[in-house]
This record gives sequence, structure tokens and C-alpha cells, in this order.
Amino acid sequence: MAEFRLPPNSRFKDVPGRQYKAPPGATSVRTFRIYRWDPDSGDKPRVDSFEVDLRRCGPMVLDALIKIKNEVDSTLTFRRSCREGICGSCAMNIDGVNTLACIKAIEDVKGELRIFPLPHLPVIKDLVPDLTNFYAQYASIKPWLQTRTPAPPDRERLQSPEDQEKIDRPSACILCACCSTSCPSYWWNGDRYLGPAALLAAYRWIVDTRDEATGERLDDLEDPFRLYRCHTIMNCTEACPKDLNPARAIAEIKKLMAERQY
Amino acid sequence: MNLRSPLGYVLGHGSAREGVHHWWHLRTTSAALAVLGVWFLFAVLTLPDLGRAAVVAWLARPLNAVLMVLFVWTAVWHSALGVQVVVEDYVRTKGPRVLVLVLVRFIHVLIGAAALVSVLKLALGGKA
Amino acid sequence: MSAYPFTDHTYDVVVVGAGGAGLRATMGLAEAGLSTACLSKVFPTRSHTVAAQGGISAALGNMGEDDWRFHFYDTIKGSDWLGDQDAIEFMCKEAPSAVLELERFGLPFSRTEDGRIYQRPFGGMTTHYGKGIAQRTCAAADRTGHAMLHTLYQQSLKHNANFFIEYFAIDLIMEDGECRGVVALDLSTGTLHRFRAHTTILATGGYGRIYFSCTSAHTCTGDGGGMVLRAGLPLQDMEFVQFHPTGIYGAGCLITEGVRGEGGILRNAQGERFMERYAPNAKDLASRDVVSRSMTIEIREGRGVGPDRDHIYLHLEHLGAEVIQKRLPGIAETSRIFAGVDVTRQPIPVIPTAHYNMGGIPCNVHGEVVTRKGDDPSAVVPGLMAIGEAACVSVHGANRLGSNSLLDLVVFGRAAARRCAQVVKPGTGHRPLAADAGDLAVSRLDRYRNAAGKRPTADVRLTMQRTMQDHAAVFRSGETLREGCRKLAGVFEAMDDLRVADRSLVFNTDLVETLELENLLLQAAATIHSAAGREESRGAHAREDFPQRDDAQWLKHSLAWVSADGQVHLDYRPVQLDTLTDEVEPVPPRARTY
Repeated sequence: MAEFRLPPNSRFKDVPGRQYKAPPGATSVRTFRIYRWDPDSGDKPRVDSFEVDLRRCGPMVLDALIKIKNEVDSTLTFRRSCREGICGSCAMNIDGVNTLACIKAIEDVKGELRIFPLPHLPVIKDLVPDLTNFYAQYASIKPWLQTRTPAPPDRERLQSPEDQEKIDRPSACILCACCSTSCPSYWWNGDRYLGPAALLAAYRWIVDTRDEATGERLDDLEDPFRLYRCHTIMNCTEACPKDLNPARAIAEIKKLMAERQY
Repeated sequence: MNLRSPLGYVLGHGSAREGVHHWWHLRTTSAALAVLGVWFLFAVLTLPDLGRAAVVAWLARPLNAVLMVLFVWTAVWHSALGVQVVVEDYVRTKGPRVLVLVLVRFIHVLIGAAALVSVLKLALGGKA
Repeated sequence: MSAYPFTDHTYDVVVVGAGGAGLRATMGLAEAGLSTACLSKVFPTRSHTVAAQGGISAALGNMGEDDWRFHFYDTIKGSDWLGDQDAIEFMCKEAPSAVLELERFGLPFSRTEDGRIYQRPFGGMTTHYGKGIAQRTCAAADRTGHAMLHTLYQQSLKHNANFFIEYFAIDLIMEDGECRGVVALDLSTGTLHRFRAHTTILATGGYGRIYFSCTSAHTCTGDGGGMVLRAGLPLQDMEFVQFHPTGIYGAGCLITEGVRGEGGILRNAQGERFMERYAPNAKDLASRDVVSRSMTIEIREGRGVGPDRDHIYLHLEHLGAEVIQKRLPGIAETSRIFAGVDVTRQPIPVIPTAHYNMGGIPCNVHGEVVTRKGDDPSAVVPGLMAIGEAACVSVHGANRLGSNSLLDLVVFGRAAARRCAQVVKPGTGHRPLAADAGDLAVSRLDRYRNAAGKRPTADVRLTMQRTMQDHAAVFRSGETLREGCRKLAGVFEAMDDLRVADRSLVFNTDLVETLELENLLLQAAATIHSAAGREESRGAHAREDFPQRDDAQWLKHSLAWVSADGQVHLDYRPVQLDTLTDEVEPVPPRARTY
């Protein structure tokens, strides 16, 4: 059966977390409850509580994580890079929702902030999940331009602004994996279902008017698991920190499948 | 230890080139069921009473019999397709999954056949 | 040292870094049939190229007259004549084909009505040698870097390139002045790997994080530059750090020059469009160093905006919601998130923010690393190449023009791959490595992993960043620079008292940040000492005690060697004032006004 509970060695309620109090004199204190797991220690995961003085911290959740790492516990491990929402490194589950820590304002969350790694992925350490399968799925849809007509030697392939518009939003995906890991269908069948991110990428090439492999691309997707595990739950669109719409892209792919058949 | 490349793992056995029919039929049967369901509800509500005689008389009319056969048929078909998806979603182990899929299909065929025979018997036989 | 066994790998070429330059080289090498490994400390699409917004310059002439010779002239003028004219000629001439190639790879460029690549005006880009305003910057809305990085990663996938993702390169393997490969740490397992290669290409990006406030990502720690310095080689023109005029006040996030390209205007507290005074012709589209200095002067003279009068407003309300939505959607989003501003109705608070390093690893037009050896100012270091922001070819000289950096990445990434294809035969045998190959990396790793002093890495890093921010920013003087050098010496001493709390090996970011800090610190020293050494003002290097450019004395590249304890040795190399071919005339130094 699909696994509905975490395996015993992954349950984080068995081990009490550590508590880190705010420094004396802090006035605007918020508690960050953060998932911790160190594979080297051999211990089960736990959830630590860090009190942070928001008056001495930037506005975003990532600012708080960096502050904790810099000033309280430098072993806290998470990915981060651009801190402006374009690189997709700091995707994590904040207050039950997958998003980017760098553009998630602390103010947007009421009460304690619960911070976990992206759900239903193997954890490497603390907030760092293993995205190997996710990246392989992206590679599997052949995310590059395929043509047979040679490109003109001295200028670009032409494309009307209207046609460019079709790929403009879908190509803005940052591969943060917030969408795929928010999808229950991906949780249960992530090994065979491509997930919203890879399907959005596939759609971006299917509707690119310069591409000449539309048929082959549709062929490769037509599969009960690769594509049709999508049950229009729409968590993907809800989760996307870039306001993209993978659910719609998947619906469009299904429509194209039906159109070429019927 | 799994030493297969991640891409090899994802590509697996390739695409089944199947699924659009299933998807299409699930949607067309639900559309048909919406119409037939409204008809069925209307018919049941307008029956003088739910006694056996009244139902048999109602089914004896060819139009009602035909629509009833279609309703039962579509419902079973739709259910078979839908339950298949649920099984595929949640039964992860390969052997049991195939077994459950076959079983579910058999049960649906059984229910469908029984339901059809019952309707036809009532519609054509009339008496008993 | 047996505690850290090596896993050995052998490739024709190893590329360190998977940003725009690294990926362009990697795909080119894979295409050429050379066995290639590309190492990156982050997944390729997380590299900082992804954050480039405005576009990539190339004289395509899609939106009006243009010629690569105009581009050549603008780049030299932008560089304040410190750029090497042979390299600039090469880059500007290659630009159209490099951009068209990206389009053929599938990059989703914005389009003109007739279906061609959309081009926007950018600072310092002119036609007819400064007479008109050129529309030369090819754009994919305001996320061109994102589009380019993803496209290049996709092409690398297409060519089945070998990636080693989340591998942190620690040190080069040097043998008698030749580079034999690189040692890297696999973050996810904590194992050490030795990569042996005929050529090692460093594409490790800039070191923007030496400053407290910068547009650079947390990962921009100049690891290639650090490795090169430890290998006893110099870095070039390190004093030239570009401050982007429009970083968001407070957050530091970049607001593209494309905003001004599309018609955005800078205004001071009096609502005055002050750039009209400083650059009567180009106004807001003057070169970045000019705009940043003008803004700083406005703020110093009390005409800054905000409660502390310490920043400037960038207005784009007048462009209208439709243009903003179509051409600058990411800017609208970033401004809303990080400044709480609705750009269709309010100005964006901005301030000059550290953005780009013109300096880096000195190399020639092919990407081969060079050093001064006796009388030879351009002796090639065998087996080592550098490309992208990590390198100093130098095409940007004392100041880079906006949209020339993405161009630099693809042109020199491609050139490096071509060069390797010429000089390395696929499958050529390798000599065995020396017995002590990789010892430097292991000793440093071990030292930092067990560092048990009193000062956390973040604390020491903050001291360095504050020092650089206070002593080597937009305006500099001998006095502040010398004081900065003294303070930085203190930071080097603090490195002996570091504390790393994480003793594990799997994904030990505490350790990685410490290794990165050492790389940053070495380059901070190179930057501030080179700045103290250069007694003139040129491009991004503005000395208050030497406000004039001095071509007689200083028309030369600085070279800085930095020892592990922070001792800096300076020397110089001549600037290449001749062109590569006779297709274009060299541009002799003259006064630079916009």
C-alpha cells in the first residue's frame, strides 16, 4: 500500500527537541520550530525550538534561518543562494505550505513557525532533501528544442509575440520542487508519476512553436502513470511560489492528447 | 543497493502509449451519468409508488427500459474505471496490484451482468 | 591523512562551476567529444547567472541600426580604457553568433512584432561611437539570466554531460606550475574526490560576498579566485568592483538597469532628475559607475530620500501597467516583496550596491590563465583556464557595461571549449599524480573541520564584510583604504581562532562556509590592497585623493598575489591597446563623458 505514516526511524516525535531561548531583553519574540536530522549521529529526527527576536532580524523566513545559523546553532543545515526567489534553492515546508523561505515573510505566519523539509522526499540532513529523482524526471522529458528544419544560418528562428506569450510563463519555472512535493499523487507514486514540475516543463516545449517534436513529446507522456496520475487536486498551483499554473498546463496536455485522438 | 542511474530509473520501461482512452471514457461516462442520473431521479420521484407492480409497469415501457440499461451499464463502467485509478494510486506492490485490478474488474463485470439481467428480466418478463 | 580517502576520477577536461560560462563550456566540450566533468557546489540552475535580469548585448540590429564596431567602442569607453582591446574585439564580433546560437538552443527571448529577438536600450550602449542610443540588449522579459541558464543546462542534458552536483571544489592540484586537476568534497556523502584532467576550467563566478551589502547570492564566494591565490598565482584588477546603481534599499536585491532602459528615472528628494546634471546626453542610461557615483554624491549632499535621506527613488509609474507587466514583471514582483512597493504607483527605494567583479583570474582570449613570469607578463599556466566573472580577460576593464556579462559568459565559455578541443585529443593518456597531490586540500579541510577557537565563521565573515563596506566602496581614499588594510589583517588573525561547530561530514555547511570565507578573505585582501595601490580614479575605482585618470602612470592591469596569512604582493601587466585583427581600429584613450 501507499505509505501514509512515516517509517519508524523517521518519526520526529520520539526524540525531544532542543530549546533555544531568545536573548534577554528581546521584545518581539517568535518561535521557530525546525526539523533536525543528522545522519552521522544515528539518532532519530527531532524538532528544535528557536526563539528569535524579530526586531534584530530581516523580514523573511530565510533571514531568520540565517540568523539562527549565524548566531545560535551553526550546524543548522539548509540550502540557500540568491535570496530573491529566482534560484529555487530554499524551497521548504513552512507552516504546512511548500514555499521559498527567501520570499516568505515571517509576518505572514501567525504564531509559531513550523519549518520542515519538502514533504515525502528522502532527507539528507535537516532541511536538505534529496532531489535526485525530481531532477531525473525533468531530464526525462527532453527539455530542449528539437527540430528537423535547419535554423536559418544568419538569423534567429522567428516567433510571433503571441506565440512567445504561450511559453513565457511556463518557461519561468525555477525547479524548486514546491509543486511536485505538494501533490498527494506525487507522494504516492513519485517514482512513476512525473509530477507537476516536469509536466509543466514538457508543456513549455509542446507549445513552443519552434519545436518540431510535439507528437513524440505527447507520445512519451501518454501513460497512465507519467501523466494521468494527475487528479486535478491543484495543490501544485496553490503551492507555486512564482504564481505559475502547472495544473492548467497538465490539463492542456490532456486536452491535446484527446484532440489528437478524437 | 540500487546502482541504476536516476534517469534510467525514471525512464523505466518507457511510455505505455495508453491512458487517453481511459481518461476520455471516465469523462464521457460521467457526463452521460449526469444526464441519466437526473432522468432516473426524476423517474423515481414521479412513480406513483415504489411497489413492485408500479416499477415493473414503468420498466415495461421500452424507452424506460433502454435508458435504465444504459444507466446501469454506464454506472458500472464508470465505477470500474474509477476504482481502477484508486487501486493504481494506493496499491503499490506489483503482484497484489495486478491481482486487485483483475478482481475489481471481475466484480464489476459480475455486478454489471447481474444488474443488466435483472433490468431485462423485469422489462421483458414483466410478471413475477 | 588516511581519515580522508580519495576517490579518483580521470577526465579530459574538468569544469568547476555550472553557471552560464561553466555550462556553455561543458556543453561545448561534451559536443566536441571530450570526456568532461562539470563540478558545481549547487544544482546548475541555482547558479547566480539565474538572477541576471536585463539581457545580453549583441549588435543584431533588430530594433534599429547597429554594428559590432559600435559595441566595441562602447565597451572600451565603458571600461575606461583598461579593457584589452583584442579581447573586446573578439567578444563584440562573436556576440551576434553567440546570441543567435542561444536562440537556436530554444531560449525563450521576448519578440518584436515581426518575430525577431526583442532588444532594449542599456547604459553606455550607443550607436555611431556615442552619438545615438542603441537598442542592443537582447531580453527575455526581465529574467534573461534565468532563461539563459536553464537553456544551457538543457543543452548540457541534451549532450549527456557528466555532472557532479553539490561537489565543493577545495583546491587545485598543482605540479611544477602546471594544473593537473582539482580536489572536491561531495557534500551529500562527505567524501573527497580527486579529479585529474588535462585542462581544468574555473568558472566559479564572482566574490561579491566580501561586501556587507551586495546583489550577489550567498554562494558568490569566488572559490576559483581563492584556489588560484593558494596555488601561488595572481589575480588581476581586483580593485574594480562594480556598484550597481539600483539595489533595493535594505534588502540589496537587484533592480535591473533594464528598468531605466525601458524609461525608468532616478529622482532625488527634490524630485529632480539629477542624472541630467551628471550625464547630459545619456542621463539615467550613463555607465553604471557614473550613475552610482552621482547617486552617492546626491545622498552625501543631503538630497537623498527617506527618513535618513540615505537613498534614491527609481520611478517607473509613468511607464504604465501594461509595459511593466509585459517587460518587467519580475521587477514588479521583487519590489512588492522586498520593498513593499507597487511599482505602478510608487517609486522603488534604491541605493548603489556591490554587484560585479571586473577583476579576477588573468587570462587570454582563449581563456588560458596567464601570469607574470619574469619579463613575460602573459606566461600561460599549463592546464588551467578561467572563464566568466571568475576570469579577467579583460573585456570589462575598470567598469563593465550592463548586459556585457551574460555575453562574456557565452562567448568565452564557447571559446574555452573550442580551445580545449584544439589542444586536447580525446582519450590522451594521463601521467600519474604526485604522491602528495591533494594534500593541501585535505590539510585545510581537516584544520577547519576541527577548528575549536572562539569565533564562529559568521562572526569573522561579518567583520570582513563590514570592513570592505566601510573602506572600499563607491568612493575611496588612501587613508580609509590603508585603515581597511589594517583591519583586514586583523580578520586574517581571527582565522586562527575560528570555531566550526559541525563536526560531521554529510552536508556540513558550517565547514563549507568556512572554506568559502577563506576564499573571500584572500580576495578581499587582493581588492583592498590593489585599491590602495592604484593612485588614480578609473571606472569603478574612484579615489577622492586622486580624482583624475592617470594614463601615463596607471594604464596597466594590477596583479595581486596573496599569501595564506594575508600578505599582498602587487605587480602590473600592460593593457592590450591593439586589436586582434584589422577589421576595426583601436580606440586610443580619451576623456570619458556621457
